[in-house]
Amino acid sequence: MKYDSLIKSIDGIASDFLFLDGREIDVPAAGEFLNRLDGLIKEAEALETDRLKRVASGLSNLLEKIVLERIEDEEAGFAAFEKGITLMQEIGDSLKNTGGYEGDIESFMESIAVLTGEQRAISSEVIAEEQLPVEESAEISQQEPQAPETVDETQDESLLRDFIIEGLEYIDEIEVNLLNLEQDPENPDCVNAIFRPFHSIKGVAGFLNLETIQGIAHILESLLDSVRNNRLSVSSPLIDIILDGADALKAMIVKLKNEMEGKPTEPLEIDLAALRRRIKSVEQGTPDTVEVKKLGEMLVEDGAITEENLDQGLESAQQSIPPKKIGEALMSEGKVTPKQVSQALRKQKEQVADTAVIRVDIKKLDDLIDTVGELVITQSMIKQNSFILSNSDIRLSRDVSRLTTITSELQRTSASLRMVPIKQTFQRMSRLVRDLSRDAGKQVGVVTEGEDTEMDRNMVEEMYNPLVHMVRNAVDHGIDSSEARIKAGKPEKGMVKLRAFHRGGNIVIEISDDGRGLDKDVILKKAVEKGLVNRSDDLSDHDIYKLIFLPGFSTAAKVTDISGRGVGMDVVKQAVEKLRGKIEIDSVVDKGSTFALNFPLTMAIIQGLIVKVGSEKYIIPITAIRQLSRPVKESYNNIVGRGEAINVMGKILPLVRLYKIFDIKPDHTNPWEAIVVVVEGEHGAKCLLVDEVLDEEEVVIKSLGEGLKNAKGISGGAIMGDGNVGLILDVEGLFELSGRLG
Amino acid sequence: MVIDKNMKILVVDDFATMRKVIRNLLKQVGYNNITEAEDGVVALRILKSQKVDFIISDWNMPNMSGIEFLKAVRVDNELSGLPFLMVTAEALKENVVQAVKAGVSNYIVKPFTAEVLNEKIEKIIDKI
Repeated sequence: MKYDSLIKSIDGIASDFLFLDGREIDVPAAGEFLNRLDGLIKEAEALETDRLKRVASGLSNLLEKIVLERIEDEEAGFAAFEKGITLMQEIGDSLKNTGGYEGDIESFMESIAVLTGEQRAISSEVIAEEQLPVEESAEISQQEPQAPETVDETQDESLLRDFIIEGLEYIDEIEVNLLNLEQDPENPDCVNAIFRPFHSIKGVAGFLNLETIQGIAHILESLLDSVRNNRLSVSSPLIDIILDGADALKAMIVKLKNEMEGKPTEPLEIDLAALRRRIKSVEQGTPDTVEVKKLGEMLVEDGAITEENLDQGLESAQQSIPPKKIGEALMSEGKVTPKQVSQALRKQKEQVADTAVIRVDIKKLDDLIDTVGELVITQSMIKQNSFILSNSDIRLSRDVSRLTTITSELQRTSASLRMVPIKQTFQRMSRLVRDLSRDAGKQVGVVTEGEDTEMDRNMVEEMYNPLVHMVRNAVDHGIDSSEARIKAGKPEKGMVKLRAFHRGGNIVIEISDDGRGLDKDVILKKAVEKGLVNRSDDLSDHDIYKLIFLPGFSTAAKVTDISGRGVGMDVVKQAVEKLRGKIEIDSVVDKGSTFALNFPLTMAIIQGLIVKVGSEKYIIPITAIRQLSRPVKESYNNIVGRGEAINVMGKILPLVRLYKIFDIKPDHTNPWEAIVVVVEGEHGAKCLLVDEVLDEEEVVIKSLGEGLKNAKGISGGAIMGDGNVGLILDVEGLFELSGRLG
Repeated sequence: MVIDKNMKILVVDDFATMRKVIRNLLKQVGYNNITEAEDGVVALRILKSQKVDFIISDWNMPNMSGIEFLKAVRVDNELSGLPFLMVTAEALKENVVQAVKAGVSNYIVKPFTAEVLNEKIEKIIDKI
C-alpha cells in the first residue's frame, strides 16, 4: 500500500521510544531518533503528507534543542516528544484508513514552538550571543587598554610552557599559510590551515585562563569561519587584519614567555580595542572607522595639560554624578581654559571631516570611468565638428572650450578614484621577504620608498604575482650567502629595496637587491647552450640581461623551495606587458641588481600617434615610437635572405609594410614616398611603413571583445576625435607577423 | 555500573598542549591509562593495534577531522560500539547535531573542568 513504509517508519520511532531507559533522551538515542525522523520527513515529503512532515520536522527541531540543552524544562520536552509520536501514529492510522488526515496539529505545533522558542527569537538570540563577547571585551579593553595576560600561580607551569612553544609555532604557520591564501584565495584548504591554529590556540588559552588571547583568537577564528562559509571573501584588508591579529597574539605569547623566564617585560603596545574594531568592520564589510583622537589626548599634544592632569581629570569625570565629559571636568578643575577645549574640539571635528570615507563597489567605479571615457570622446567629437569649427558665435566657442576643461577635469578626477597607494602591496612584499629569507636561511632586510605612490587598483592586482616572483628571485638568487657577502666586504645582512615613483607619465616600481648581481657569462653560456643565441652574436650587457626573459630560461643551479619552480621570468614579462609595461634591468657584479617595472599610469587611456594607411587609420602607442622619418631612396636596401631594410641614422632596421600585414591598398608603396615610423620592440627596432602621419591624440582604449581578443598585431580599438574607429597597433605582435610574412 | 578507572582512554587532538590539558584533567578525576593521537588517521591506526575503551576526540583536526573519525569508527564492525566523546569549541548547533546524528556518545564544550569531564564520562558509561 501507498503508506505502508511510512507507517513502518513511524512505528519504528514509537517502539524505540517505548524502550527508552527512564524519561530522558540521551545523546545516542537522540541521534537515532534524529536520523529516523530525517528519513520520515523525506518519505512524508514524497507522499505530500504535509501535516505529518510538519509534525516530524517539529519533533526533529525539538530533539536538537534537547541535545543542545536549550530546553529548560526537560520533563516538558520529553512529554512533548511523547505527544508528538502519538500524534504521528494517529496521522499514520488515518492515512491508512481514509487516505488523509483532517485532524488539528496546530495546537501541538504551537506547544513545540513555545518550548523551543519562536524561530525569530532564536536567531536574534544567536546573533546577540555572537556579538556580545566582542562588545564586552571591547569595553573591558577600553578601561584597560593594554589588558595584558600575566602569569599567575594557579596556572600549570608546564602546560603554559608547552602552550607558548606550540602557540608560537602555530602562529608562524599561520603567517606562511596566509601568503598561500593570498595567492590562492579560493582554496578551502588554505582557509582551514589558518582557521585551525587559531582555533587550537583559543581552545587551550581557555583552559589556561588567558582570556585576552582566547578572545582575540576567537574573533579571528570567527572571521575565518565566515570566509570558510563564503560569507566573506578574501581581500587585502582581511589578510592584513589577520596578519595584525596574529602579530598581536604573538606579542602576547612572547610577553608571557618573558614573564615566565623572569625577564623584564614592557607593557604591550598593542591597541586591542582598535584591533577588535577593525576586525568587526572587516567582518561587516564596512570601511575602517576613522580613528578619532580623543579630546584628552589632543589637549596633551597641544601642551595644554600634562598626562597626569589628564588621568586625574578622567578619574574625576567618571566619579562625578552624572558623569562629566572630560573637557568639562578639566575646565571645572581649572586645568584648561574653555578656549583650549573648544579649539581641540574643533580640531577633532576637522579630523573626522578630513578622512571620512565611503565604500563603493568597484564595478560601479569601473562603469563610471568607462562612461567618462565615452564623454571625453563625445566631447572631442563635438569640438571637431565642422559646424563648431566654422562657427562665429563667441558664446558657443566659449561654452565648448569650457566643456573641454570640465571634461578633462572630470576624467582626471574619475581616474583618481581607482587609484590606491602601493603601500599595502609593499607591506605584503616586506613580509614575503621576511618569510622567504627565513626559509632560505639568509639574513635579509627590506627598505621601502615611495609607499604613497598611487596606481590603478586594477593594475595593483595584476601586478601582484609578477612582483611576488621578482621578490622571490631577489631573495633566492639575488642576495648572496653570508659567507660570500663577508668575503666581498659587504654587510652580512642583505637588503632588498622596493621603490615606487612617477616618471614622465609612468609609474615605476623598482626591486633592487645588494646581492651578487647578474652573471653575464653564466647567462650567455646558458643561452648559447639552449640555442637561444649564437656565441658570435654581438650582445650588449643589456641584451644579455634580457635573455633571462626568454621562455625556458632559468639560471638557478639548484631548484629550491623558493624559486625555480618552472615559472620563469618570461611569465613575469608577459604579465608586465599585459599591463603595457616594460622591464629594465640594471646590474653590477657583486653590487646587486635592479629590476625596474615601468607602467603607464592608467590602463584606460593611451597617448597615440594616428597614422593613415590607404583609407584606414591606426593608432601607434607613443611609448613605442622612437622616431619618424621620410627615408631617402638610397637608404632603402633589399638584402637577400634578410629582407627589406632601411638605414636610419646609420642603423639598418627591417622594414615592415603595414599594408601587407593588414591586406589593404596603400597610397604609396615606395618607402621614399611614404613615411616610416621607427618603433621599438623587445628585440630591437623596426620601421613601419605608413602613408601619412595625422595627429597625436589621447585615446580611450576599448577592448575588441572576446572574439578578437587574441588577434595578433592589434591590442584594441579606440574611437577617435572625428568619431571614426581606429585600431591600436601592438608592436610585438606586428613584429611576429612580419617575421612570418618575411 | 562501576567505572573501571583503569580503562584505556584515547585522546585525539592535533594540538599537543591540548592533549596534555585533557590528560591532566583526566588524571585529576582518577583516569591514568591514557594514550594520545594527533589526528583521526593516527587514532584509527591505534584503535586497530590496541584495545581502547573510550575515545575523547577534538573536532577540528587536519588530515581527518573529528566528525570523519567518528563516522569511520561507527562504520567499523569492531569499533562501532566504542564510547566516543566529542570535544567542541562552542555548542554550535550544526556541529553538535551533525555529531549526534553520526552516533556520538556525548559532546563537551571547551573549556571544561575536570568535574564536567568526569560527569560526561560517567553518563556515557552508565548507559552501556
